[in-house]
Amino acid sequence: MSVVDAPLAAGYAVEDFLLVVAAGFVVLAIGMLYRAVKGPTMQDRVLAVNVLGTNTVVILAILGAALGEPTFLDIALVYALLNFLMAIAISKFTVERGGVL
Amino acid sequence: MSDASGGEASDPADEPARASAGRLDAETRQGPPYTESQVIMSTVKVVAPFAFTYGLFVTFHGGGSPGGGFQGGAIAAAVVFMIAFAFGIESTRQWLANTVVVALAVGGTLVFAGLGLVPVARGGAFLQYDLLPIPFLDPVKYGMEAVEIVGIAPIVSGVLVGLFFVLARGFNGEGSGSPIGERGYLDSEGDEESTDGEAGETGGAGGADETGEVDRDGGSAGRSATDGGSR
Amino acid sequence: MTGATPVVAGISAIEASLFVFVVLTALATAFARDVLAAVIIFGAYSLGMAALYTFYRAPDVALTEAAVSAGVTTVLLLLTLAKTTRIDHEAAFESVNYPAAGAVGLLFAGLAVTMVDVPAVGSPDAPVWGNPDVSQWYLAETYAQTGVENTVMAVLAAFRGFDTFGEAVVVFAAGIAALIVLRREVFA
Repeated sequence: MSVVDAPLAAGYAVEDFLLVVAAGFVVLAIGMLYRAVKGPTMQDRVLAVNVLGTNTVVILAILGAALGEPTFLDIALVYALLNFLMAIAISKFTVERGGVL
Repeated sequence: MSDASGGEASDPADEPARASAGRLDAETRQGPPYTESQVIMSTVKVVAPFAFTYGLFVTFHGGGSPGGGFQGGAIAAAVVFMIAFAFGIESTRQWLANTVVVALAVGGTLVFAGLGLVPVARGGAFLQYDLLPIPFLDPVKYGMEAVEIVGIAPIVSGVLVGLFFVLARGFNGEGSGSPIGERGYLDSEGDEESTDGEAGETGGAGGADETGEVDRDGGSAGRSATDGGSR
Repeated sequence: MTGATPVVAGISAIEASLFVFVVLTALATAFARDVLAAVIIFGAYSLGMAALYTFYRAPDVALTEAAVSAGVTTVLLLLTLAKTTRIDHEAAFESVNYPAAGAVGLLFAGLAVTMVDVPAVGSPDAPVWGNPDVSQWYLAETYAQTGVENTVMAVLAAFRGFDTFGEAVVVFAAGIAALIVLRREVFA
């Protein structure tokens, strides 16, 4: 019996609490999506997608803890490393629309 | 285009010159030229080794955790993209020669096919790993690992890096990559290839550059098209 | 998962919010007027899909989604955009093309009809459990037969190795096809 199976309150375990927290982070991501869609400038979108990526790293890590699968952290690591690539690619692209790539 | 040219638009005096220049390398191109970003370069220097190591980990550890050759190859290719964005695509292209890219893709395919055909030569079925001549080790396990590490991962990373370079160069015949037409392959229309490429290029840019009555967007559109030609 | 997980109509809170996120990003990608905005929102879409795959315990698929979408697709799409011209738009969203929307709606309705017969996630009636001779055999026998712990990799590289060989050759052929379409002889 791991930590996440420990009873918390009224029949709910830590696992359920973590899943609800992850759902809360997804709701935050939906809020950030407004900025990514609305813009109005590309810099807003770059920042929004960067925040979304960091958000996803957190969600994946919480899911890994809640579901008791430490290997899920691998996916979070991939996003943590490659989200940076997405951010610099888009931000360098917005300078003269790819003229400096 | 407010977002893309925000830095330049702050200097409206040079606006006509910019529209008529149309090219990034033109003398009259207004504003200070974009220089490489110190922030991106030094961050990539730090991040790239870790990302590449992680790509190798995903490839080599595919048997015990999520991952495998495809994912690891994609991550390794993403590291090359990262370096190319930080230090310039042209210098990355010279650093990572065409031979390396092609050797990765072709070599991976040949290794995969070879690993499949060796058991056939020994009287078994295609990819029957237990007939592989691997001494001391479990041939099934290490045959699979060999397919993932020496086969799939190089194919994926090689092809993705190759696609990156090909797309970065764009469609026309200028530059160091010789178009097929010049060497007579695939070429029923003979030596029209070179004019072909230019026709496509002026088709995109000519309207903006020659008529002279360009607004800002027309200018930038023409610039990106001609820029694609010169790179 | 424990039975006490908050569940409404068979869908937990995290699933529902991820579904909303994925559907919203997909619609925004389809309707975004500016191609660059569509590319960026598509990156956000893949973030949601990776989280969804992870929640359904398909980490290999999630890892592929992460590596390919965050690392590769966005970059290649941006490079392609850099080589094309741009039409400046006033409106943020595309106006709806009604014949196309009708076709998509019909396709969606046709697919939705089949949803009735799809077993619920984790249902004991699902063929995965109802057919233990096939799926459970792989889970039980993978380590004994191949020596690796990751069943997905064992199926890909060993049990269905010939299919994977075909896939690898398809990737290789895609690279060659790009060279032919762009009329080049060399990548770099």
